[in-house]
Amino acid sequence: MALLQISEPGQTSAPHQHKLAVGIDLGTTNSLVASLKSGFAETIADENGQHLLPSVVQFQVNNDNGYQTEVGYIAQQNASNDPMNTITSVKRYMGRGLEDIKKHSIYDFVTEEDSVVPRIRTIAGNVSAVEVSAEILKSLKLRSEEALGGDLTGAVITVPAYFDDAQRQATKDAAKLAGLNVLRLINEPTAAAVAYGLDTGSEGIHVIYDLGGGTFDISILKLTQGIFEVLSTAGDSALGGDDLDHVITDWIIEKAQINEPEPNLLRQILDVARQAKEALSDNETYTLSLNLGNEQSWSSDLSQQEFEKLIKPLIRKTLTPCRRALRDAGIESEDIQDVVMVGGSTRVPLVRQMVGEFFSTEPLVDLDPDKVVAIGAARQADVLVGNKSDEEMLLLDVTPLSLGLETMGGLAEKVIHRNTTIPVARAQEFTTFKDGQTAMAIHVVQGERELISDCRSLARFELRGIPPMVAGAARIRVTFQIDADGLLSVSAREETSGVESSIQVKPSYGLSDGEIESMLKDSFSYAQDDIDARKLREEQVEASRVVEALNAALEEDGEKLLSSEEQAEIRQTIDELVEIAQQNDQRTIKLKIEAVDKVTAEFAQRRMDASINIALAGQRVDDIN
Amino acid sequence: MSNKLKINTTDNYFSLMGLPISFDVDKAVLTHNYHEIQKSIHPDKFANATALERRLSVQQAAQINDALETLKNPTKCSIYLLSLYGIELSDNDTSVDPLFLMEQMELRENLAEVASKEEPLTELDAILGDVNSRIKQGKNTLNTLFQKLLSDSEKQESDESLLNEAKSEVLKMQFLNRLQEECLNKEEDLTEQL
Repeated sequence: MALLQISEPGQTSAPHQHKLAVGIDLGTTNSLVASLKSGFAETIADENGQHLLPSVVQFQVNNDNGYQTEVGYIAQQNASNDPMNTITSVKRYMGRGLEDIKKHSIYDFVTEEDSVVPRIRTIAGNVSAVEVSAEILKSLKLRSEEALGGDLTGAVITVPAYFDDAQRQATKDAAKLAGLNVLRLINEPTAAAVAYGLDTGSEGIHVIYDLGGGTFDISILKLTQGIFEVLSTAGDSALGGDDLDHVITDWIIEKAQINEPEPNLLRQILDVARQAKEALSDNETYTLSLNLGNEQSWSSDLSQQEFEKLIKPLIRKTLTPCRRALRDAGIESEDIQDVVMVGGSTRVPLVRQMVGEFFSTEPLVDLDPDKVVAIGAARQADVLVGNKSDEEMLLLDVTPLSLGLETMGGLAEKVIHRNTTIPVARAQEFTTFKDGQTAMAIHVVQGERELISDCRSLARFELRGIPPMVAGAARIRVTFQIDADGLLSVSAREETSGVESSIQVKPSYGLSDGEIESMLKDSFSYAQDDIDARKLREEQVEASRVVEALNAALEEDGEKLLSSEEQAEIRQTIDELVEIAQQNDQRTIKLKIEAVDKVTAEFAQRRMDASINIALAGQRVDDIN
Repeated sequence: MSNKLKINTTDNYFSLMGLPISFDVDKAVLTHNYHEIQKSIHPDKFANATALERRLSVQQAAQINDALETLKNPTKCSIYLLSLYGIELSDNDTSVDPLFLMEQMELRENLAEVASKEEPLTELDAILGDVNSRIKQGKNTLNTLFQKLLSDSEKQESDESLLNEAKSEVLKMQFLNRLQEECLNKEEDLTEQL
């Protein structure tokens, strides 16, 4: 007898169809992509068997006067011959303004009119950090689609936990340009904890010390029954292995008495510095040598002892965030089960030694510090895409930086404190200052300091359409929401009149929607027709998602939560959407989906409430402990 | 005879988290229920859902997070409990007793002078210890007050004078919390300079 197949509630598409999803570690020095293969997460190699992809992009002119890019090892090899067109460590420039990135950079930065985003002048034109990152992501996308044999449903991309809103938004923009569907941005140390925690299954409090190529994060997590709860995070989004290279570079420049090195020589010195750092992790001394051109050369020995003296202040700099994270988590060193080392820079023995001394415990170094982040991200991608291999796993992360508003006198008033669990929403009320005032400017900043000038400007908002009233009578409620990606959105409403004030966002460091749109158009892989076709397809996918989800919801809860009139109304609107979705008009489909949302919002809310009751049912107070 | 105030007993963070209304909530039960609810409504569970459901899930999860933070933190929990009685605290409330304010000013002055002392960290430790013990005291006082208030609330009414007492205690707690924060910031600055 044939058995009836019953799909799981809420599981609307074919239940056994395995969707392709990957985890991407978009690193400063190297990037990786990983996916789940029969329940086991592993990184994907390129056709030469290489798992790491150097985060290096070279822009070149091709035969028919167009442009092409080279990404990875070949670009890395070409870096010293073509330094100005070969971009390394682009992650350091993501979401940053001109003044932040000039230091130690060999590139020629320009800002174009109407844009706050700095661009690097290359042979292929001016390119922003977002576009460079998109090239790395495209390369990884291609690699995984070839290896997995199909289109990707989505990707989880990791970012440093200490990345601010502008840096996260820039990462998401890069993914969009690369044609990737971002399932979630997750924090690198959290991804590492997932890989580590699921590997060992050890419950308790874990510290992840993540020193990468350009960023440093410390996260303290509590693991209980598949729930990874971040207690606190701290770090420095401009401190990493690159900075170790830079102190060696400065040392070489001083010793070799080089004045203002040309880009090619500087590139060479940076490479030699990196080799020295790597070699001195295992050896007592290393001989540095430079080719100065004109048959001149320079060489000198650097001892491990001297190397450690050079880098010690930088390593010590990582201990301040460690102290802060402990304090914010409200725990003592004794409460910690283990300290896990992540990121290539934790291979440096002095790092291990100083971290061990700080936490009074031998740090764990048995995981591959390069791969662990991508592997954790792949596991989360698999869960998010609905393959359900780790059904019980849940990540509860925090926002790394406080969110504040500018008040009188240039002071920042905190609306959301650092280390608040996300998603989070906080409302703040404002009033008018003058009679008849109809607009208001709000400046949003991120950071811990009291003075606005010491915090990072995120955006300026203009509220318009406030009904004219006497000064102080209007009550404008502005809601700040940080979603599960750690990204901020703002909405505003005038309470006495109920008028929704419109918001104009001017991101302080980001690309505007218009800029992204035109980059998509200019991008080598899309023509205008492609973009329109893609938009239509995406809207149709969303429509069918809505239809499937609503049918499943009606099947499951329709009788329980809705009157027969309500059910009929929803069925009718579904039918209408099905019909409209077949026509090839993206705009109409979009409007219809919005209309459907209005009709079904109450039903969705009731279902959400019901699921909370179910979650708590059977968990009566006396069952616990 | 003093006024009696009613408490709003349904549709609040306590009922949302499946807990009885109290100041001293059972942390283990709170955490457990929080995890169970998040497992069912967290945005990660809706990554494949429609845009509407994704949006609702973000809002709902944000509310649950706020509920957890409110009920876990003594000062926030007190302010929330008072709001259930219809009492809102405003920023410019100055109804704190003058003696307490004098003590606060003194502690603040000591804190400001710490850096110039011979053993700044030891001095700071002493101030922080003092602040912490005051916070603990305040917590105990609030616990007693709310126990009284809430046992009254079974009769659906509470004494306004007890509420006023609770209110002024909460205002003190806010001062102390700020001072504690400043002490810890100072500690961070001092250790960084070492």
